[in-house]
Amino acid sequence: MLKIDNLHAIVDGKPILKGISLTLNPGEIHAVMGPNGSGKSTLSYVLAGRPGYEVTEGTVALDGEDLLALEPHERAAKGMFLGFQYPVEIPGVSNVQFLRTALNAQRRARGEVELSAGDFLRLAREQADALGIDMEMMKRAVNVGFSGGEKKRNEMVQLGIIDPRLAILDETDSGLDIDALRIVGQGINRIMRKPDKTVLLITHYQRLLDTVEPDFVHVLADGRIVRSGGSELALELEREGYGAVAA
Amino acid sequence: MTPDDASIRNRDAQEAADRSANYEWGFSSDIEQEFAPKGLNEDTVRFISAKKNEPEWMLEWRLKAYRAWLTMEEVSWAKLDIPTIDFQDAYYYAEPKAKEKLGSLDEVDPEILRVYEKLGIPIEEQKVLAGVEGARKVAVDAVFDSVSVATTFREELKKAGVIFLSISEAIREHPDLVRKYLGSVVPQRDNYFACLNSAVFSDGTFVYVPEGVRCPMELSTYFRINAENTGQFERTLIVADTGSYVSYLEGCTAPMRDENQLHAAVVELVALDDAEIKYSTVQNWYPGDAEGKGGIYNFVTKRAMCAGARSKVSWTQVETGSAITWKYPSCILKGESSVGEFYSVAVTNNRQQADTGTKMIHIGANSRSTIVSKGISAGKSNNTYRGLVRVNGAAENVRNFTQCDSLLLGSDCGAHTVPYIEVRNPSAQIEHEATTSKISDDQLFYAMSRGLSQEDAVALIVNGFAREVLKQLPMEFAVEAQKLLGISLEGSVG
Amino acid sequence: MTALALPTPREEAWRWSDLSALPALAERTPTGRAPNALPWIDCEGEAPRLLFVDGRLDQSRSRLGPVAIRAVAPETAHPLGRLAGHDGWSLRLGRDHAPAGLVQIVHVSTGATDHLAAEIALDDDAQASIVETFVGEGWTNRVSGVTLGKSARLMLNRRVLGESGFVSLTDHATLGEGASLVAATLAAGGRDTRLDGEVDLAGEGAFAEVAGALLARARQRHDVNLVVRHKMPSGTSRQVWRSVADDRAACSVAARVEVARGAQKTDGEQSLKGLLLARSAMINAKPELEIFADDVKCAHGATVGELDRSALFYLESRGITPDEARALLTRAFVAAALDRIGEKAVCEAFYADAESWFEKPSPLEGEGGRRKAADG
Repeated sequence: MLKIDNLHAIVDGKPILKGISLTLNPGEIHAVMGPNGSGKSTLSYVLAGRPGYEVTEGTVALDGEDLLALEPHERAAKGMFLGFQYPVEIPGVSNVQFLRTALNAQRRARGEVELSAGDFLRLAREQADALGIDMEMMKRAVNVGFSGGEKKRNEMVQLGIIDPRLAILDETDSGLDIDALRIVGQGINRIMRKPDKTVLLITHYQRLLDTVEPDFVHVLADGRIVRSGGSELALELEREGYGAVAA
Repeated sequence: MTPDDASIRNRDAQEAADRSANYEWGFSSDIEQEFAPKGLNEDTVRFISAKKNEPEWMLEWRLKAYRAWLTMEEVSWAKLDIPTIDFQDAYYYAEPKAKEKLGSLDEVDPEILRVYEKLGIPIEEQKVLAGVEGARKVAVDAVFDSVSVATTFREELKKAGVIFLSISEAIREHPDLVRKYLGSVVPQRDNYFACLNSAVFSDGTFVYVPEGVRCPMELSTYFRINAENTGQFERTLIVADTGSYVSYLEGCTAPMRDENQLHAAVVELVALDDAEIKYSTVQNWYPGDAEGKGGIYNFVTKRAMCAGARSKVSWTQVETGSAITWKYPSCILKGESSVGEFYSVAVTNNRQQADTGTKMIHIGANSRSTIVSKGISAGKSNNTYRGLVRVNGAAENVRNFTQCDSLLLGSDCGAHTVPYIEVRNPSAQIEHEATTSKISDDQLFYAMSRGLSQEDAVALIVNGFAREVLKQLPMEFAVEAQKLLGISLEGSVG
Repeated sequence: MTALALPTPREEAWRWSDLSALPALAERTPTGRAPNALPWIDCEGEAPRLLFVDGRLDQSRSRLGPVAIRAVAPETAHPLGRLAGHDGWSLRLGRDHAPAGLVQIVHVSTGATDHLAAEIALDDDAQASIVETFVGEGWTNRVSGVTLGKSARLMLNRRVLGESGFVSLTDHATLGEGASLVAATLAAGGRDTRLDGEVDLAGEGAFAEVAGALLARARQRHDVNLVVRHKMPSGTSRQVWRSVADDRAACSVAARVEVARGAQKTDGEQSLKGLLLARSAMINAKPELEIFADDVKCAHGATVGELDRSALFYLESRGITPDEARALLTRAFVAAALDRIGEKAVCEAFYADAESWFEKPSPLEGEGGRRKAADG
């Protein structure tokens, strides 16, 4: 589904990604791990099309189509979802309003029928319940006054409502306690573990991978993938540390 | 209203001592014996220029300013209660020898002595500050270990190529440099007092730091004993050439026994590409008695031209005392990516009034400014912050952050914030925040229950409030400033 | 023919004002043609409705209820306010008076100048909710005096719509003990405005919320000068202003909070925010504080900037197009001021007016006035 080929990217004039190649097929869950500064978030921002992140070399294809030529909202319509490491606060815009607008914009772009307000609320309630989030919170402004953990769970609600084909989750586990971690992990499994969906999990610690067991684990260091393996690689990293493994 | 003294007189033996000192260090040969006649007219201006041995162009410059001043109107927009000043009832040039010297420290106002003690000023220095006869030489020898130390300073500066002279000397020895920059940041007609200053200034400092030079020492340490530029109409000009750095300190924490009622100074800073000027002021003007009588009116025009790309100017000020202060150090951010900073702590007590703030004018793209203003009011005083942040239409990506905090001690004082924000470019991000607070009884009780006296507790909390500004000061100044905060708020709580 | 004595920008309170169009407007003759469709807000019952055309009451299309038409005497030295004279309308409600329902007043100007005064006096525990809407062209000049008795409550909301001309409103409100005033203003349409307000919290524990959304495009100017005075302890005030300026327009908001000596336990908050949509537009703000009491809580903030880029990206990453994302955030920006309106029908009407302002293309489009935020 997603083919990343020799991707180089710079941020503020500094080269961060120095030649990343990765192929993700439908039905697969990939984990990318690495020390701070290795370029993990940069990778996710580049894939989502954030301004300020410039691709200097390489290609990215989504279902054979050039992803880098698309605007962020067009990538979303093609089925991509970025779970932010630092979800943004948007005062004055409720979660419900935000997500209904987003979902219908995507449906419109795909030529699908838009959801009515009633149908959307039903969907929202379903997803909120599954993640243990009060509907009241859904009526509040996006992420305003949310704790770190609540913001991450909110990202999961969005994941459930938008139901993308490709989810890139950037350090979704940071800031979560044990219980929240479990709920988030189960959410990812429920929504994304399907034969026609793909997940790219970007994570610093191994613990999320206990619940969301990856098919492939890649180690990112200094802007390059230095090692790839199966899920046992994650355990090795936990034991040995990045230094030893990335050497 | 008539001031307590029927006339405004110039400085006392203190200044005489300074001038002798200056002479010893070879800075100035301006020792004369005469008074200009009382009052201000064209002849006064000529007199001053002649006494300073100035070239023709300088006299012309002064006269132009004088004639312009005659057409200008005194400003009245500040929230101050300024009595009308009679400009003809003053001497504009007087030789300080006319003043009496004191025989010994015993003759000094005990109140002033007490402050010197609190500030930890050595006895010998106290004698100099207070104007005790014969104190100069002794003090200098004692503190500076004689001429050699001072000579070392001069030599270091000379080696680095830094020009550091009195403005009068600079006009004579480096006329091209002075002429190029004088009035380029604060034009003569800029405001009433700047115009007056341009006509009759008689004192001040000129600094030029050549390309790529990082000035080897903070300029002023040198001048501390020389009681710091408290002339009536001072003119300071500092030019930092490409890639250079200079840190200039002005002021002194010891209260100035100064009988000048009016101070109208002009300070111009010019920073070229990649240059940085750090200008710190710690001023403790004699505030007059508890009724506010006999204090000093302090009108200063301070402005920096951040002319070069990536140039930076930082104004840091700690202002206390002074019956009335009116000063707005400003930055014209012309160069691309230039940076302007303003850090200020203004303390008012008794019946003092302060109206201070800054103007940041953004012209260059990517320019940035930071304003942190801490106002502390006590007694029956009034403290006003007045600021302007303007972003011109062509200035892209400008960033400004302003924080104005007021601390009110007691229920009889006042704090006023008047910020003007004028933005003409949509890519600018301008943020202004203001808070008002008091020292809570809980805070005081907590500090006191740990052993601090009320006075010390107040000083501690106030210093905490002002910390963000104080940490901008070069260290030795910071220590003095902290003590000063404590002293100026004595008796303000409880 | 007396010449208009207008203040100049050299006076601090008029620093950002442009009154140059007024003398000409003062000379014109009205067409007298009022539109058939008027911006009444749908609501139940037979609440009072007043229609003023060029400052004169149109009896046939009005329903006065408890509102009286008579001479009122709001005292003011305000240069524009004092021109408004003494004729006008008056709403006086006695102690415990039952609410009159939503009182709606529509002012239509047909191209010249008209002046009117107004007075609202609510006795102890009385309540009222009033909406004034200004439409048409020409110069509409109003002066209003508000007096609220103990625990009285007033909601006073204004909309300035209409295509061209000038609307100047000069208000003075005095609040008694425990009284409450919530006033929101929406300036949309195409008219210039000058809004002056003085709110005195003269009784202990009074509450005042003064909010406004100023939308300006083409060469429009909105000019607000507001002061809230805390004269007694335990008062609460909120000033929330949102400005959006496009093309060559300018929005200026000078808002001051004064806390008198002895007005302890004051809670005063001020939030002035501006959004510039084009390079030649201008936003001015002056969040002023004058505090003489030490036990107070005053949080003040002003920001001028563009829409938050990370918020824009966040919305776009979820599939929302850049234009729609900008629109969403801009509306949310303005909503912060309009949210203050308590009555649902009024709030919705104001939102709808703001919405139509956003949807209407700028008259200057094509003159290169609008900036494309493609990098948003």
